[in-house]
Amino acid sequence: MLRIAIIGCGKIADQHMLAFWRIPDCAVVALCDRELLMARQLGERFGVTACFSDSQEMLRASKPDVVHITTPPQGHFPLAKQCLESGSHVYLEKPFTVTGKEAEELIQLAESRNLKITAGHNYQFTLEMMEMRKLVADGFLGGKPVHLESHWSYDLSDTSYVGPILGSRTHWVRQLPGQLFHNLISHGIAKLAEFLDDELVEISARAHQSPLLKNLGGQEVQDELRVLIRDKNGTTAFFCFSTQIKPGLNFFRICGPNNSILVDQNSGSLIRNENKSYKSYLTYFIPPLKSARQNFRNARVNMFNFLRGRLHQDFGMKELIERFYQSIRAKSPPPIPYREIILTAKIMDEIFAQVYSKNSAK
Amino acid sequence: MDTKFIVSPTDRILITGSNGFIGAKVVECLLAYGFTNLRLFVRPTSKLAAFEKILGEFPAGKNTEIISGDLLSCDDCRRAAQDVSIVFHLAAGFDKSFAGAFMNSALATRNLMDAFLEHGRPKRFVNVSSFAVYSNLTMQRGALLDETCPLEDDPQERYDAYGFGKLKQEELVREYGKNRGLPYVILRPGAVFGPGKPDLSGRVGINTFGFFIHLGGSNQLPLTFVDNCAEAIVLAGIKPGVDGEIFNVVDDELLTSREFLSACKGAKRFFSIWIPYPFAYGLCALWENYSKRSKGQLPPVFNRRRCSAEWKGNQYSNLKLRQQLGWKPKIKMARAMDLFLGQYK
Repeated sequence: MLRIAIIGCGKIADQHMLAFWRIPDCAVVALCDRELLMARQLGERFGVTACFSDSQEMLRASKPDVVHITTPPQGHFPLAKQCLESGSHVYLEKPFTVTGKEAEELIQLAESRNLKITAGHNYQFTLEMMEMRKLVADGFLGGKPVHLESHWSYDLSDTSYVGPILGSRTHWVRQLPGQLFHNLISHGIAKLAEFLDDELVEISARAHQSPLLKNLGGQEVQDELRVLIRDKNGTTAFFCFSTQIKPGLNFFRICGPNNSILVDQNSGSLIRNENKSYKSYLTYFIPPLKSARQNFRNARVNMFNFLRGRLHQDFGMKELIERFYQSIRAKSPPPIPYREIILTAKIMDEIFAQVYSKNSAK
Repeated sequence: MDTKFIVSPTDRILITGSNGFIGAKVVECLLAYGFTNLRLFVRPTSKLAAFEKILGEFPAGKNTEIISGDLLSCDDCRRAAQDVSIVFHLAAGFDKSFAGAFMNSALATRNLMDAFLEHGRPKRFVNVSSFAVYSNLTMQRGALLDETCPLEDDPQERYDAYGFGKLKQEELVREYGKNRGLPYVILRPGAVFGPGKPDLSGRVGINTFGFFIHLGGSNQLPLTFVDNCAEAIVLAGIKPGVDGEIFNVVDDELLTSREFLSACKGAKRFFSIWIPYPFAYGLCALWENYSKRSKGQLPPVFNRRRCSAEWKGNQYSNLKLRQQLGWKPKIKMARAMDLFLGQYK
C-alpha cells in the first residue's frame, strides 16, 4: 500500500482525490496547505484527519511514499526538493517548474536519490492519445514525424478564472514569467515535446491580447499565442493557444512521410489519414466516407468504454498516476520520460523569453 | 430616520458583492433609508454602469466610495473594512468546485471578519447565506422549514459546492461570534427573483437536457422578491437586539411551483414536462447509485439529498423576520410577478 500525501489543497487536489478512489493499493495519509482551513475542508470531505500547514512537519509526521504537489507553480521547485530530500517520490502538477533549469535540477536530484518524479501532463494519457502512441510505435506514420500540430484552447468567457488574475498584479499567475500562458500551455507543448528532438534549431513565438481580454481590462496580459518550432532532424511543429477560437480546439496532429493521425481531445476521437489516391471524382467521395466510418467507430468505442465504466472525464490523470505508482513499485522507468519533461520546460522558457521580451521592447 | 438603529446615518457601512443582483438593491435600500457613508466593494472586472445609475438617483450617492479588490487578499480586506461600523457581506462564491466555493465563501469571509474586527468599528456583521445550507432529508413532505431546521451534514454527498461554501462560511461566522465577540446576524434568503435574473429557480425544475423538466409540482416555493429581500438584509444590519440571530427570508402569498411556472410560460413560451416527486426521487437514487458504482464516471449531480432539498416540498414562514426585525414585504407577490415577468417582454 502506497502512502500518499498532497501539498496544496485547492481545486486540482479534488481531482487527485477522486482519481485515488479508482487506484488500488494507495491511501491518502496526509494533507497540507499553507492555509490550514483548505487542508481541513478537503480532509473533512474525504475522511483524511492528518492536516498540516507546514510541509516539513507533514513529511516528518506522515512519512509519505509519494507526495502530490498541487500548489501554484512558484512552490513546485522548493516543495519538490524538500520532498525528494526527505525520501518521497513526487508527482508535480503542471507546469512542472517555473524554469527549465529548475526542472533539470529536480530530475537530477530525484535520480541521485533513486526516487521518481513526474509531471502532471495527464492529457498525454487519455484513451485516444494512448491509441495514437500505439499507432506511431507500430509504424503507421511510415517513418519519423515530419510535422506536428498542437492546438490548445481555454475559454475565458466565464470570468471566474481570469477575473482575479486581472484584478491583481500580485496574483500568482501574473508573477510567472509567462503569465497566463505559463499556467495553461504545458499540456499542449508536452504533446510536441514527445516527438521532437532535444536539439531545437528554431523557435519563433508570437503573442497578442484578444479583444475579450482587452475589454476585461487585461493590461499587459496576453492570451493568444502561436509558435513555430523546428528540430535538428527537420521535424517542424506548430502550436496554437487560444482563448477565442470557438468551439475550443484541443487537438494534436502528427504527420509522417506516409500517413498522419489526428487526435481530438474534446470528443475523445482519433482519425487516421492514409496516403491513398483515388481516381477522378472518387477522391471527393471515398475519403469523406472513410472519415465518416472512422468517426462512427470513435462514437462506438467511446460508448463501449462508457458502458465498461472506463470513460471518466479525468481518465488521463488516473492513468498517469497509476502508471507512476507502478513504476515506483516495479522500479521501472516513469511514465513520462525525463527528457520530455525537460524539453517541455525549455520550450516554454524560450516562448516566454520571446513573447515578453518583445513586449518590453515595445 | 429611526432613532433605534444601531448606527447613525453618517457611520461608514461596507457592502460586499454590492453590484450583484441583491447587492445593488441593498445599496439602493440603504441610500433610501438615508445612510450617507457607504463603501462598496466590487471585483476588479465588475461592470459599474448600471450601478452608477442607482447612485445617481440619490444625493448621498456621490459620497459613495467604490473599492475594487479581492476578498482573498488580506490587504484588500483591510482597505475595505477600515473604520466600517456595519458590514453587509453579500459577495458569493459561485465556483463549481468545492475548493473554489470554500475559498470564495469561507476564506474570504474569514479574511473580512479579521479585518473588520481589527480595523473596523464593529457594530454588526450581516452574513448573507442561503437556503442551500438546510437539509430536509429527514423531514416529512410539506413540513415547516424554519430557522430551527437541520443543516446539511453531507454536502459532498449532495454534490453541492455552493451549499458547502455557505455552510462553512456560516460555521466560521458563528465561531467568530462565539470566540471573538463578532456581533453578527445571518440571513438565509430563499429563492430570490426579480428583473435582471431571468433564470427560473432550480426548485421549479431543470433545463439540463434541452427542455424544461418541471419537478416542483405543487410545492410551495420559498420566493422572495429582490427588493423585499434587500430590505430584510438592511434591517438585519441596523436593528438593535438581534445579534447572533438567524433569519429565513421569504415573502408572503407564496406561489406553488406550478403557479410560478404557469405564469412564466404565459410570458415566455417554452415546453416543459412534469415529473412527480417519487419518480424524480427514484431516478436520482438510480443516478447516485450508478455514480458510486462507476466511481464517478457520471458525477453525482442528481442524488437523493439534492432531490429532497429542492423538490420534496416544504412550507415556509417569515414570522421571525416580521417579529424581530419588523419587516414586511413592501412589494406584494402579484406586483413582484408582474415586474419579474416584464423582463421577458
